[in-house]
Order: sequence, then C-alpha cells, then structure tokens
Amino acid sequence: MSNNQNNLSAVEKIKLASDGLRGTLKESLHDELTGALREDDQSLVKFHGMYQQDDRDRREERSAKKLEWLYSYMIRLRLPGGFMTPEQWVGLHNIAGEHATGVIKITTRQTVQLHGILKSHVKPTIKDFNTLHLDSIAACGDVNRNVICGAHPKFSAIHEEVFSYASKISELGLPKTRAYYEIWLDEKPLLDKKEEEDPLYQDRYLPRKFKVAIAIPPNNDVDVFANDVGLIAIIENNKLKGYNIAAGGGLGTTHGNAQTYPRLATMLGFIAGEEKTLKAVLEIITIQRDFGNRSDRKLSRLKYTIDKMGIEAFKAELEKRCGFALEAPKPYTFTRRQDDYGWSKNHEGKWYFTVFVENGRVLDDEKIALKTALLEVAKSGKANFRFTCNQNVIVSDIAPKDKKAVEKILQDFGVIAHTENAGAVRRSAIACVSFNTCPLALAEAQRYLPTFITKLEPILAKHGLQEDEISLRMTGCPNGCGRSYVAEIGFVGTAYGRYNLHLGGDREGYRLNKKYKDNLDETAILQELDSLLEKYSKNRKSGENFGDYVVREKLVTL
Amino acid sequence: MLAEHKLKILQDLVRSSTKEELVWMNGFLAGVLMNCHDQSTLASQTSQASAAAPATAPAPVAATPDKPAVSKITITYGTESGNSKKLASDLAAKAKKSGINAKVVSLDQYRLNDLSKEEYFFTIISTQGEGEPPATAKKFFDHIHQNGFKLNQLKFGVLALGDTSYPLFCKAGEDVDQQLQKLGGQRIVSLQKCDTDYQGDAEGWFSQVLTTLSSNGSSSSVAPIAGAVVTKKPAGKKIYAGSIITNVNLNDRDSNKQTHHIEIVADELEYQPGDSIGIVPENAPAIVDSIIAVTGIDKTKTVSFRNESHTVYDLLKKKLNIAYLPERVVKQYASIVKQDIPETKISLLDLLKIYPVSNAAQFQEVIGILEPITPRLYSISSSLQAHSGEVHVTVARDNFKVNGEVKQGLCSNFLAELPVDKQLEFYVHKNSQFRLPAEDKDVIMIGPGTGVAPFRSFLAERDATGATGRNWLFFGDQHFTSDFLYQTEIQNWVQTGVLTKVNTAFSRDQKSKIYVQHKMLENSAAFYEWLQNGAYVYICGAKEPMSVDVEYTILQIIERFGSKTSAQAIEYLNSLKEEGRFLKDVY
Repeated sequence: MSNNQNNLSAVEKIKLASDGLRGTLKESLHDELTGALREDDQSLVKFHGMYQQDDRDRREERSAKKLEWLYSYMIRLRLPGGFMTPEQWVGLHNIAGEHATGVIKITTRQTVQLHGILKSHVKPTIKDFNTLHLDSIAACGDVNRNVICGAHPKFSAIHEEVFSYASKISELGLPKTRAYYEIWLDEKPLLDKKEEEDPLYQDRYLPRKFKVAIAIPPNNDVDVFANDVGLIAIIENNKLKGYNIAAGGGLGTTHGNAQTYPRLATMLGFIAGEEKTLKAVLEIITIQRDFGNRSDRKLSRLKYTIDKMGIEAFKAELEKRCGFALEAPKPYTFTRRQDDYGWSKNHEGKWYFTVFVENGRVLDDEKIALKTALLEVAKSGKANFRFTCNQNVIVSDIAPKDKKAVEKILQDFGVIAHTENAGAVRRSAIACVSFNTCPLALAEAQRYLPTFITKLEPILAKHGLQEDEISLRMTGCPNGCGRSYVAEIGFVGTAYGRYNLHLGGDREGYRLNKKYKDNLDETAILQELDSLLEKYSKNRKSGENFGDYVVREKLVTL
Repeated sequence: MLAEHKLKILQDLVRSSTKEELVWMNGFLAGVLMNCHDQSTLASQTSQASAAAPATAPAPVAATPDKPAVSKITITYGTESGNSKKLASDLAAKAKKSGINAKVVSLDQYRLNDLSKEEYFFTIISTQGEGEPPATAKKFFDHIHQNGFKLNQLKFGVLALGDTSYPLFCKAGEDVDQQLQKLGGQRIVSLQKCDTDYQGDAEGWFSQVLTTLSSNGSSSSVAPIAGAVVTKKPAGKKIYAGSIITNVNLNDRDSNKQTHHIEIVADELEYQPGDSIGIVPENAPAIVDSIIAVTGIDKTKTVSFRNESHTVYDLLKKKLNIAYLPERVVKQYASIVKQDIPETKISLLDLLKIYPVSNAAQFQEVIGILEPITPRLYSISSSLQAHSGEVHVTVARDNFKVNGEVKQGLCSNFLAELPVDKQLEFYVHKNSQFRLPAEDKDVIMIGPGTGVAPFRSFLAERDATGATGRNWLFFGDQHFTSDFLYQTEIQNWVQTGVLTKVNTAFSRDQKSKIYVQHKMLENSAAFYEWLQNGAYVYICGAKEPMSVDVEYTILQIIERFGSKTSAQAIEYLNSLKEEGRFLKDVY
C-alpha cells in the first residue's frame, strides 16, 4: 500500500521476523546472566502486555557495584471496561505482594498494572493471572489496547449493554497468535498453524498503539476524544440508539519535533446497530494498518494517517470498506469528566461507592490502609470492582442488603473519610507513572504530584478556589499518558524538575489546551498559578471554569 | 675482618669448591650462627655443629661423585595450598638427576606402617592456624606423637613451611622434626623453616639434602644435635606498601551480605592468578583507646616487642592480637596478675576489665606475652596482565556470633572500611597448587560467593593473554538482583567469548534452594564431555558444605555419563587429581 517497505522502522522489522510475536522470548527468559531481555524481545514483550523497565534511581549505584541495572517488568492487564470480580481482586492483591512491588496501579486507561516484577517472576505472575481468568494480551504494543468504557453504571440503565461492547471490541482486536500461551503458560504449539492466521494484523500488526474508548454521556470520564476511535453512546428514551463515532485522537508528541502534535478525534458520523458499529471500528483499524506510517514511529498514530489522507478521503475509504454510509452525528452533551465520589445507586437499586485513589496507586501507607480495606471488601464477596479512567476504583454492584457491611469496612479503614476529605483539585488530578520506572520519563509525575498539590492547596484556598474542581494533570514526558493536553492546567515534563505549563483546556474534554510557558521549575509554576488563579477568582464570570476563563482572557491563543 | 691466614684458608676452600659444596657451606655456617648466642659459646656451638654435619662434609673436593652414596629416598609432604607438594616434586626431580630414586607421597596417602622400614625420609610440611599441621598430614602427625615404637634406622630431614606473621611459626614442622628424633630417628639435615617467600630457603635445603646424600649419608657420620634443633632464619618475605584505589561493596542495598571489591596499587607487584595476599588488620581505635584508658599506660611510651620498638599505641593498634587471646596467653596473663582465670578465649579488653592489672608497669609486662596479629589471606581476584600494577581482593564482610552476640570479623571489617588513598601493607602468598593450565586447555571453575575471586583473576588473565582454551564458570549466591558478584564483567566475558558457558544458582530466589551443584547436574552431559576433553576443574569457596557437595556431584556425573560404577568414578576422579586437573582452594 502506501508503505515504503525499504524504509521500515526497526520495530517493523522485528515484528515481521517475530514468528507471531515469539521472537526469542523463551531464550531470553532462560538467560541466567541478566534480568533483561534480548533487545528485539524487548519490543515484542509489549504485545504480551509487559514493558521491560529498570529502576532509574539506581543505575549509577548499581553500575559502581558491577551489577547490571535493576531490570524488572511492568505487567498490564487487558481488562475491557475495567471490570473485576471480588475473587479476581483478592488474587490480584496476592500476586502484587508475591511477585511485584505490592502496589496495584490503576491506570488512566481503566486497567491495573503491577510494577517491579523480576524476570524470574514473570511467568509465575502470568500463570497466576491465568488461573483468575485474567490476561495481559495486547495490553501494550502496536495493537488495539485495552478498550475503555464509561465506568459508572448509575448514569444509565443501559450501561450494561454499552459495557458489553468493550469486550466485543477487545475480542475483535485480539491478535490470533498463540505465542502468549506458549511462552508464558507452557502450552504446546498448535499442530495446524493455519488457526493462527490473522486476517486483521497479518504479520505486521499495527504501525503503532491503537486505543478505543466508549463514552456514555453526559460523562466523558474516558476522555473519548483522546482516543484513536471514540464511540459516544446515543441514548434516547433510555434506549441505546447507536453511536457517534469519532477517529484520530491522540495526545503524544515529541519535544523538538514540529511534525508531532496532540489531536482530538474528529467526529465522523452516527452508526446504529452492533454489527455495523463493530464493522466500522474494525475497518478503521484496517485502514490504519494499511495506510499508517511504518517508517517513523513518531508519526505513525492514526491521527497522522487521517491528516495525511484528509478527513473526507479517510471517511470515504471507511465507508467503502464498511459497505455502508455513516449517518450524520446525533446530538449529545458531556457535562463532566470527573468521577462522582462516594455512594450512588443505579436503576436496579444496587449501590456503588467510588473510592478516591490518589494517582491510582492502591497501597497501604501512613495515611490510609487502602489496599487492606479493598482486600476486606473483596473477601466479603459483596462487591465487584470497576476501574475508572480517572484512576479510581468503584466498589460496585452491592445488593441493598449488603450495603451496610461494605460501608462498615470502608468506614473502619477510613476510606470514606479519605475520599470525602480529599481536596477538589487533588480528587480530579491525574499523573502518569514516570520515574522511577518509565524509560521515557524526563520529569517526575506520580511521585511528585501529591506534594505539588499540597503546595498548591494554600494558594487555591487563598483565592477561595478550594471547592473548584479545576482539572490538573501532570505527565513526565510529552507522550501524554497523563492526558495533560486536555486539562485546564497541564504539566508536560521537559527535564528533571521542569515542566511546560499548558492552559486553556475545558473541563469536559472537548478542547485541547495550549502551551503557556516553557520549562518552569516549581517556584516559577507556583508563582504563575498564584497570579493566574488570583485574576481568575476576581474576574471570572458566574460559573465560568478556569480553562474557559483563560481562553476568554486570551492568555493562550488556541 | 678475618686474619690473613684464616682468609687464605677460606679463599682456597671457596676456590676449590663446587657450587653445591658452597651452598652446603653456606647453610652450615648459617646453622652454626643460629646457635651462637654470644662469643663465649661459639667454640662449643661450633664443635656441636661440626658433629651435626658429616665430618667429611666438604671432602669431595672434586666434582659431584658419579655414584651417589644413597640410592633410594622417600619424600613426603603435608600440604594445604599445594606449596609443599610442589617443593616435594622439585626435590624429587633434583634427586633423580643425581641418580637417587625418590618416591614422592602425600602424607595422607602414606602407609604409616612403612615408617619403621624407611631409611632416608624427608618431609616437607606446612603449618596451619595455631601451629597445626595441614588436614592431610593430621593422621601422620598423630601417629608420630604416639609412643611405643622406634624408628632406629630412620634418617630424616624436615623442611617446614610457614608464615612469620603467625605466632607459632612453622610449629608443625618443628614438631615433626623433634618427634622423629625422639622416636630414634637420626637427623641428617637440620630443620629449615621457610617463610612465605620460601623458594630460596628451600633450594638451599635441597642442596644440603643432596650434598649429604651424595657425600656419604652413612649413619655413622651423621649425628643428631642433642637437644637443639639447628634452624636457619628464613629470608624475609617481601612486604608491599599499597594504596587503596577502589573499595566498593558489590552487594546491592537489600542484600544479606557485604562483599567488598578492593583494588590496591603497589610498586613492583609480582603475583600469579591463584595466589593470595596476606594482610595484617589493624585493631579498632576505639578498643585501643579503651585499653589505654583502663590500664593508665602512656600511649606514647616506646616499648620493645620481639626485637622491634614501637609506641604502646602503635603496638596495640597495629601489631598485637587483642581481639581473642588464645588460652595459652590467658594462662600467662593469669600468672602476671596473679588471679585464677578460667581457660577461655577472651578479648584483652574484657580480660582487663574483669581481671585488672595493678598498674601500667604490670600492663607493660602483659604486652610482652601478647602475640602478633595474624595475617588473613585473601584470594587475589585480579591479573597483572589485565590490571597492571594492581592487586584486587574480594572480601566478604564477616559477622559471626560469640555467645549469642554478633561480632564482626577483624580483618574483613578493617578492609571494608578502608577509604580510597589509604595505605595498606600486604604480602603475596603463593599458591602453586592453584594455577591455570596451559593456554589451550579447557577450564571449569566452580566458585560460588567469594569463591569467584580467583576465577575473576583467571578469566582476566586468559582474556588478556588470549588463551584459546574454553572457560566455564559456575557461580552462585543468595539473590540474583543483589548478590551476583562481578555480574557486568561476567556478562562482558560472555559477550567477548572469553567465557564459553556460565551457569548461576541463586539459592533464595525461589522456594526450593538451588546451588551450583544443581546447575552442574543440569549440565551433566556437557560437564562430562569437558572432562573427557581434558578440562581442568577448579573449586573455590566454602569447604563445607559446598566443596564436599560439588565433589560428590562430580562423582555422580562421572558415574552417570561415563557409565561407571561408583568405584570406577572415584578412580576416575583420583586420576584427575593425580594429573593436577582437579584443584581446590577452599576454606
């Protein structure tokens, strides 16, 4: 197609030569001398839901000791719609303690990941997950990643129906190779290799990661426009009519590369019916497979493919491949992206408690024994676990008769107070993982954001803004995992202790923000925000959010 | 100095003597001098010494006789590091050249019943720890300390290896020399005590042995010296003044262990892979200060200790063993302070606190009975070919329990805390038993923990010299992430092909403990193939249980893959040992 096969990026060649993502992973695992994988296998292991990382804080010290870097693995689960049974949570809790750092990290894409798993523990971890009917297939890599879906069932009686699309889309985007089962679960290779034939991914997979989100208005907790494909459930009279479909979202950029940019998904149209919806998602994937840039990974996301083709040509190609035309998009409204913390009840009378988890890190610390509390809830068997794209967990589907028992556990461990007492900005904030494990990190994020907010809170209070849910997001590099580009206040790490300050996003996720200042350190950031927030508190119109105020005052030009 | 007529005789004598005769005279005079305490006793000493030597000693003025007077001798050795063995075979080679049939046998292989039938019997024996013989000589040592038998036809000579840094220098050799005499044996060559630089003294003793044997060797002309043992003062060993350039704990933060990699530079260094260095640790200043405080002695006072003068402070800090006094010292202490003290190992400070000295003068008396700090030996982990001008050691920081209390090993802690640029004295302790084979031979190295030290030296040497033989390393420790000593260097050697194979065993990374021998078993077929191909096997590290388990495992491998009975496997392993292809440096 449009690819110049002679100019393939290194990763493309690795994929092609990988024999269905197998590479030499088995040999790498057997190498007793290193905790790392062979170089090519480091690319392939992502398709199996893992990243090879190392403790970047320890590099220098370990080198002096003639020890290699402290390599370990992050394993991310494929968890369409972010749902887990209590039995699975108990298992996850135990696996985290036995094989990983102990911290359960809820990601910005509605799943969980474990860090610090040594090479020798990777197979046991995957095996343990497998016995819980959990897997990490395609959780990372150049494939359709975890499919996310509006988390909170209270918003609509048809949540369940929409939620089922997450699994269906996840299934249609699963690679067919049995490599995962052979490498990690010791299954025998299939005798008939034909069963592995993969009409979707073929032998090249996608040019880059691919993300699908389903939003259920009026909540845009999934940040639907930040995804390659965004489905917006259209609900009329409590019935699911179909979806508005948007494509080409993606936030990652590269410092100093003007060809890269964050982009929100473009609305394409409306589709009714499950069959057509799934077909459209599938064909967007095939277009990206066939037209995406395979020579420069920095320019290979669907957003660049669409902009290169032109939106009309892209839509025409899609309709041609689908064999049907898209209808005009239906009206919808988003009113918020934040989670609704605390108790709520759905249409069937089941109860939900949305727990505030700072930066998605579930652990016991000096402030709160959150991990133990959630384990107790899970052990009671009275609640399911649903993760949100705001890195929180909803203790879910509690029968009315069980509510008291669950409430008592949450009360006893201080989870309710912890959730209620968290400040408005803190509860809405997001940070990516960054140091010490993310190889891309330039500046701190999740380790630093809580401290930063503690310093910001007095400033907010000074200006009477402590109840204002300004969306503030921090990401340690320009790749955008923390979705800083769609925040009212966004930080993008540039160097250790330094951030670009972005302003002007809206609260609902319709609009990208813009870089306001380059390369600020903490003192400069706090000074800037102090002065901006002071002006905002004095000059805002009634009900005007900070992001909108900044745009109206033309502090940034969008 | 000599009167003219004496000088003339001497010159004539020297001129007319062969080289061997001169060597003999040299030894003879040294022996005489050892026993002359002052001028007045010289005459009697000389006459006694003359009696000790064959009266006809310098007689064969012409060249070496065509036919030796003695045709058959037995050379036995008791060895720990292999030095005695090496010397025994050197002596045998020289004897054979002189037409003497020499049988060389290790003392642990020696049939004790044969002793009474021996005529010419030479023993080369080292001394371990507190004056003990090496483990391989224990049976023989105990045997000759029994009564009830006589060795009337035995003519013997003893070469003792030792280290002057230890309080009981060459004690095992002295004991053997005296016991053989007590049992009725006739000493035909006087005892030679050698320090760690033993080569020169040993050569001198060899010459004496050969001269004696070839001149006459008949018992009538050989008489033992009554009461006194003639010994020569050993040539001093070379002490290097080094300077620390690196001192890093190789284990990571969360390890149960601390293993220091220490790099030392020194001028004119000479050593070979397989050698060790000896280091005399210094005592902790806090303890020295406490001793000075409780005794009230002036720390700047200069006192003499074993013919050297030092200030009290320097003596206590650098020279004297104050950590755990042996019972014999405690006994002497008790008689100085005139108190009943139970026989036990105790530190000087505790002793002073419980059984105080009456005053500083009495403490000075105590100093006189103290023993020098014994040096500790550490396998060298560097190669001069690769690390020019440097010597590296790999030191496990030692913690042990005494009566339930955790104590720290004196030397390992002293070394662990040495800062960069600190000066450090050391000497090289040769280990001729533990040498690399010819450059084209394969080598299997089994060295868990600090046992990896000499193998780092081996690999660096083979890397630097481009040796073509294959190299296979077995390493093990507790945890992969924190205890993989020299991990990045080992990785590099694998990458550059210096290491053909490496297998690691980390015992505590999984529920069931995995040790190096398990990895050897997993690789049995290849292991046996290497053995069949002439590989040399080296084991370094803990004697118990590691080296025992490893040796047993090798027997299993030989049995299984060589289709042998267990007796045949033992035979196979024994032949490896005889060929010098199965070598251990264990502790």
